[in-house]
Amino acid sequence: MENKRLLSWFATLSLAIFAVLGFTLPSGARSLAIQIMVFSIFAMGYDISLGFTNQCSLGHSIFFGVGAYGAILSIAKVKTGAIGAVGSGLGAGFVVALILGLICVRLSEAYFVIVTAIISAVFHLLAMDMIWLTGGDDGITVIPPALFSKFTQLSLSNPLVNYYFVLLFLTVTYLILVRMLRAPLGKVFAAIRGNDTRALFLGYNVFRYKLIAFIISGVCGALSGALYALTLRYASADFFSFYWSIVPIVWCLIGGLGTLVGCFIGVALMSIFQYYVSAWFTHYLLLFGVLILVILRVSIKGVLGYVLKRGGG
Amino acid sequence: MGELISTVLFLFVNGMIWGLIIALISLGLSLIFGVMGIVNMAHGDIYMVGAVISISLFPFLGNFWLALLVVPLIVGFFAAPVERFILRPYEGHPSVTMIATTGISFIIQQIVLATYGGIPKKMLNPWPVSFNLFGVEYEGYRLLIAVISIGILIGLWLFLYKTSYGILVRASIQDRNMASAMGIDVNRVLMMTFVLGCILAAIAGVLAAPITQVFYLMGNDVVLLAFIVVIVGGLGSLEGTLFAALSLSCVEGILSAVMSPTQSRATILVIMIVILMIRPRGLFAEK
Repeated sequence: MENKRLLSWFATLSLAIFAVLGFTLPSGARSLAIQIMVFSIFAMGYDISLGFTNQCSLGHSIFFGVGAYGAILSIAKVKTGAIGAVGSGLGAGFVVALILGLICVRLSEAYFVIVTAIISAVFHLLAMDMIWLTGGDDGITVIPPALFSKFTQLSLSNPLVNYYFVLLFLTVTYLILVRMLRAPLGKVFAAIRGNDTRALFLGYNVFRYKLIAFIISGVCGALSGALYALTLRYASADFFSFYWSIVPIVWCLIGGLGTLVGCFIGVALMSIFQYYVSAWFTHYLLLFGVLILVILRVSIKGVLGYVLKRGGG
Repeated sequence: MGELISTVLFLFVNGMIWGLIIALISLGLSLIFGVMGIVNMAHGDIYMVGAVISISLFPFLGNFWLALLVVPLIVGFFAAPVERFILRPYEGHPSVTMIATTGISFIIQQIVLATYGGIPKKMLNPWPVSFNLFGVEYEGYRLLIAVISIGILIGLWLFLYKTSYGILVRASIQDRNMASAMGIDVNRVLMMTFVLGCILAAIAGVLAAPITQVFYLMGNDVVLLAFIVVIVGGLGSLEGTLFAALSLSCVEGILSAVMSPTQSRATILVIMIVILMIRPRGLFAEK
């Protein structure tokens, strides 16, 4: 009980800090903050899958990429506004998550991890190959759209609008996810995390609940991809690369699995680290690999998990 | 018509030879999973390291065949401490090992990129002879690869089924706790299995160096097919792995006659998904 209150205080505080930072930060740091918020959505979604139902997916780059292309293509081909673009990214993410979930969720742990990894690798190959649709490595660039196609005063080309646009989605996602986890659904997730065989014996349709978690998680990934693409104003086949399947795991592990908002810390640390280290060290991924091994060795519960354990006694 | 048949046969043989290389890689993968519960994401990078070291050592050794002997030993020498000091605590937890080996994979790739460079290179053909196969000139070295890998596969089979050490390995695959209770030093078996798997991948890398582009990401492409093979054959099932490696590679080889490599890879993926829907644990799984 104590933990839950601590977590919601932490989340409120983080969101408030983001709200204040929006108009105080200089433009370089502001775009870093936008990145942190976008990735936080991705990481929260990933936590639903790994932290709450024990599904270690290595296929989340698919949702990230599909969301990004859903948004960018709808602007490029149909000329929707930003809201419409995010909507189509979400729709595409939902469809793909549903199909993949039906294929993968039933599989046992090792099969699940490998099959999601294989499918994401093939998506990456296809994205590189189908240049007519995805633009391959060069990607597709768009002009930043207005929020609604008729209403041109508020456009994402204004960095402040972009910032609060992303913050709005972060807040809404957080509120929806927290509400879901406090509902009976969250209790079933906890039961599955604890022991899925027992949950099955208690009469819960474990497959269906795992599928729900997978889809929620995928849709969050797609939302994050769509927002990321809108912020960068482009999407390329690189959005499907394996890197985007690995980083959410690292964010969640650093921040604390199963805490939903712990990943804010993980995302912020990683993004700041990457922003400064990649500037002077080209083989940044080397440190990234070492970091993964160190985190696994030190604590699988992450920063917030550690704090909670200390605070909770 | 005769030309079509000879093209198909040619692609079939080509697929078969890649299938044997993939079999070496995926047998190691399957063995490591079966015995230790490690899903080794860095396996493709070990294959890559095998090829890279053989090219880098070529000026010193001056001989491809010597490299084929030396390189696997070097790789095995480095694999043992990785298993002991990095992977040991996570064994039996597939997801965690997968994350950890991904970290190792990033480290290996970046070290190779920093030392060897990012430009693809190719090994000189060590046996520049060509045969007339179904009316097509065929490189002798490729046929030699087939002979060598079949030899290694037979050796592996003899090792696993005819030596007392092989019995220990198979006992550890069947039931690790029971094997331990029977007085088998399971930890040593685990380390040796990991080293053996890595050596197989390194041999595959050396063999493939003259017929493919050697660069720091070359493992990614191969490990993808190796994972598909292991899944289709059934995780931890060695005969399933061998069967799936040969059949899938031949199918992919023949498909490449009519479609782009990416499309044939996607078709293989669809085949895998269909098989998983019918048999969620692969073709040769026990349960």
